[in-house]
Amino acid sequence: MRKSADGKPSRGIPPAAAAGLGALALLLVWEFAARSIASEIVLPSPVQVARTAAELFPTARFLAALQATFLRGMASFGISMALGGAVGLACGLSPVFAAALAPALTVIRATPVLAVILLALIWFPSGTVPVFAAVLMAFPVVVADLRQGVLSVDSKLLDMAQLFRLRKRDRLRSVYIPAVAPHLASASHGALGLCWKVVVAGEVLSQPARALGTGMQGARVQLETAEVFAWTLAGILLCALTDAAFKLIQKKDPLALRAA
Amino acid sequence: MPYELHDIRKSFGDLQVLSGFTLDFPSGKVTAVLGPSGCGKTTLLNILAGLSPPDSGERRGLADARFSYVFQEPRLVPTLTALENVELVLRASFGPGERRERALRLLTAVGLAEARELRPRQLSGGMRQRVSLARAFAYPADILLLDEPFQSVDLRTRIGLMDSFLDLQAADPRTVAFVTHEVREALYLGDIVIVLSDKPARILDRKELLLPRERRRYGSADLSDVEAALYRLILG
Repeated sequence: MRKSADGKPSRGIPPAAAAGLGALALLLVWEFAARSIASEIVLPSPVQVARTAAELFPTARFLAALQATFLRGMASFGISMALGGAVGLACGLSPVFAAALAPALTVIRATPVLAVILLALIWFPSGTVPVFAAVLMAFPVVVADLRQGVLSVDSKLLDMAQLFRLRKRDRLRSVYIPAVAPHLASASHGALGLCWKVVVAGEVLSQPARALGTGMQGARVQLETAEVFAWTLAGILLCALTDAAFKLIQKKDPLALRAA
Repeated sequence: MPYELHDIRKSFGDLQVLSGFTLDFPSGKVTAVLGPSGCGKTTLLNILAGLSPPDSGERRGLADARFSYVFQEPRLVPTLTALENVELVLRASFGPGERRERALRLLTAVGLAEARELRPRQLSGGMRQRVSLARAFAYPADILLLDEPFQSVDLRTRIGLMDSFLDLQAADPRTVAFVTHEVREALYLGDIVIVLSDKPARILDRKELLLPRERRRYGSADLSDVEAALYRLILG
């Protein structure tokens, strides 16, 4: 989908300021709730969480956990994009393949994340569990998106390509890729968000030696609620930053891979 | 080499579209096939191009022929510029320098040299169809197939497009099969006009037009008797 930058006339507050105000409102509600509850164990205030995070983030334990989780997230993202991408393309090209795969995809989509993690705990070592679960959860999303991408290829352009006897690579570059690229972008956006969430959830249950999820669970057991928040904050930042990095890459080449 | 469809039969289910249809396409000439909507004109083009196999009959001289198409809608690649769109169909046949030169020459011939770096959505409907004409003539085809390509624009633009076509055809005469349901278009562009009946399509009449282009123009009285005869034939 192309963004219409020229779209709406801006009335009053610019979007960036509105987002800032929204974030401020969120913090105020949080602060207000923390003050009314007045129990650090139930709900620490934003300032307490910030202080805890500032203490936690420079520690070697945290950095090792962050690195390990980051790698798990990237691995599951990469695997789900590669697998889901290939299967999604095949589904788009062959209705028979798509129909044959539909039941499996429905089952995967309907299976609760925690059920997948619990089964994975039985099958895999602790470090692998979060990756397996995340790949399995992101896979159907990627497949559906890429299939849609192939289906969005203009059949009249395909006829044109056939009549003028375009070479395979020209057909790919000028007809298929431009149609699939936006769907690839939306698939990777969806997969990335899903991967972080499922990886951390998997870590909470599988307890690898180094992991954000392990840190989170450890803090919870000791009723260090502010620290649970701090670990969570790290997870949120990881998701937000990779998403921003991704958007930046896309912005550089909005027509991604356009034929020269 | 003469191109001919000989004794072609084609049905879709119970619907007989062509039954024993024979027509030749003289080289370097525009054969305008005039017929009512849905009489099987597009089927005829598809069989000619080898896209759809006939149930029986022969395609003579067409086995290795290469075809160019101008469709009802321009069918340009939205992410490519006008120039790139024309170059795209030349990639398999020419090197980079030659295809650029060729594409540019054809775009210039249809008056779009200035617009070569624009993408389809930045062009008007008439300009897009001009790119599609340039593409068809740029492609090294033996036969050009025109499937009602002047329908989706207003009269003035349509005449402009047809003039572009006639200019291109005069500069580089191709064997053209042009299907239309517009009498005036057939008279303006055709060297030979074939009138088809409703399904299954039979040839009702064949006229060779020898008048020069100036005397076939829209509004010209020179062809009014031929035009009247064609209308009588079509309207029964």
